[in-house]
Amino acid sequence: MIKMENVVKKYKGMERPAVNSLSMEIGEGEICVFVGPSGCGKTTTLKMINRIIEPTSGEIYVNGINVIKQDPDKLRQNIGYVIQQIGLFPHMTVFENIAIVPKLLDWKEEEITKRVKELLEVVGLDPEENSSKYPKALSGGQRQRVGVARALAVNPSTMLMDEPFGAVDPVTRSQLQNEFLRLQKKIKKTICFVTHDIDEAIKMGDKIAIMDQGNLVQYDTPENILFNPNSEFVEDFVGSDRSLKVLNLLHIETVLKRDIKTVKMNNDIIVLHNFFENNKKKRAIIVDDSNKVAGYVSRNDLIKGSSSKGWNSIIKPIPTTLPMQATLRDALALMLQYDLVAVPVVEDDNSLVGVVDLNEIRTHIGEAYQEFGQDEEGCSDGAI
Amino acid sequence: MALFDFFMSIIMYFVNHMEKIASYTVEHFVLIAIAILFSLVIWVSVGTAIRNNSGLAKSVLSVGSFIMSVPSIALYGILVSMPGFGLSRKSAVFGLILYAMLPIVRNVYVSLNQVDESILEAAKGMGLSPRQVLFKIQFPLALPVILAGIRVAMVMMVGIATLAVYIGERNLGSLIQQGIVRTHDVMIIVGAIIVSILAFIVDYLLGKVEKLIVSPGLISDMPDMASKKEVA
Repeated sequence: MIKMENVVKKYKGMERPAVNSLSMEIGEGEICVFVGPSGCGKTTTLKMINRIIEPTSGEIYVNGINVIKQDPDKLRQNIGYVIQQIGLFPHMTVFENIAIVPKLLDWKEEEITKRVKELLEVVGLDPEENSSKYPKALSGGQRQRVGVARALAVNPSTMLMDEPFGAVDPVTRSQLQNEFLRLQKKIKKTICFVTHDIDEAIKMGDKIAIMDQGNLVQYDTPENILFNPNSEFVEDFVGSDRSLKVLNLLHIETVLKRDIKTVKMNNDIIVLHNFFENNKKKRAIIVDDSNKVAGYVSRNDLIKGSSSKGWNSIIKPIPTTLPMQATLRDALALMLQYDLVAVPVVEDDNSLVGVVDLNEIRTHIGEAYQEFGQDEEGCSDGAI
Repeated sequence: MALFDFFMSIIMYFVNHMEKIASYTVEHFVLIAIAILFSLVIWVSVGTAIRNNSGLAKSVLSVGSFIMSVPSIALYGILVSMPGFGLSRKSAVFGLILYAMLPIVRNVYVSLNQVDESILEAAKGMGLSPRQVLFKIQFPLALPVILAGIRVAMVMMVGIATLAVYIGERNLGSLIQQGIVRTHDVMIIVGAIIVSILAFIVDYLLGKVEKLIVSPGLISDMPDMASKKEVA
């Protein structure tokens, strides 16, 4: 937990404080994203927490302990720190980079070895393959992962991340964001996250703190920031396309239709015929014995090639599926790309969970606006 | 044919005076070894001490440049005339130390300041004390450039040490100096060749040392990048 009380940072010769009387609380296990235009004080705020920048006045507590009264090195050893340029030490191997703080804290050799291996696995790098590599041999995404592993080395309860995914290409960024969110579900750290990208803020944050000219303008959940911006500044900052951004927030889970009817590959063809007789659907999803998606059969194909034996040959592969953690935005993107009205949702092992369909998404977005938003404009936007 | 004879006489001189040449070479090497040891202790400390003070660094480095621009013969002349030095090895060593000032101090100062800001911030943010940052991060990263400075200093010392014969040293410079006095061409050339070989060997050995102690993570895949890092 992080608590700030009337924190001020003034630089000499500057009229306006870089951070002006900031008070806020970041709950245990939450990701709080600081976002705002450059010079708004977000990075300064973050760096005051581990005293890379000393506050001019005010109190900052990390887990109830006043950071100003703590030895700065001790303080920092217990707060994970990830910066945009990552700052891996080029003369040390991946192993040595991750092991540096545990070594400072005099961990035993075998404990360190075990921890590094564990961390590399956690961030999705093969320990055997990568431990002895030097940073120069890693790609941008891999470096970022090592950076996160290094910050997690001594299992700090708090992490500070300053535009951690800013220096990688958009595809890698979104991949790293997803991985990090999945990881956070397990490790539940209290995280301060700085970005200038509102989309990233919406995606990553449990709470978003929007700052402008050293002031905290709005500190709220992403839903409230999007649906109820408290000022023109926030509204502008979020952007006119906020109805699209909402899609990033809503998970397919809420519109997912589970327990849908499927036909098994080893069913008799009669089952397939019954399927199409009993409902109006144009296509049937075919699964194998372990409920993994095998493909689909369309009504027309069945009529054409209805030899009773080996009907499996008319199964067509499904063009795309969605993972469980996808957002409505992902779902809509796929629907547009592949011209579909419904997309199957699968677990990591490709077993079928359910289906997301377009109508359901439309209804849901309308409901979301009614629930959170007050303005009429938002409602009409919502019905895409 | 004259060239061949000349070549033969060089070899004959070398063979006939093997013992003397060997002892000169050892003397030569001992002199620069003493000088480089002192230089390392003094100049690496100075370079480190001034790393965060650019004003002071500027003055220190201009003193170094000034010393470098003083002709060695003149510098030795001045040293010999100073009380407590005189015609002694002390003067010879001290002169060499002075010449090593610029390449070593400059490379230490520049390379410590060249370490990427983000690396230093990461180190600080992870809770390394300023001392730990210096020894665990800055020095290892600066090492290739520091070694390049040491290499320049040592190779230079091999050459300058020949002039120390004028203030009482007996080393490879003696061959050259006596050769000049006696207009003995072969003697001069043998001296010059061995000095050059010694410089080459010193350079080669330091290159090997560099490979041994610089982290592989810092060595570029392109060959010879480290020596290009010598600050011009």
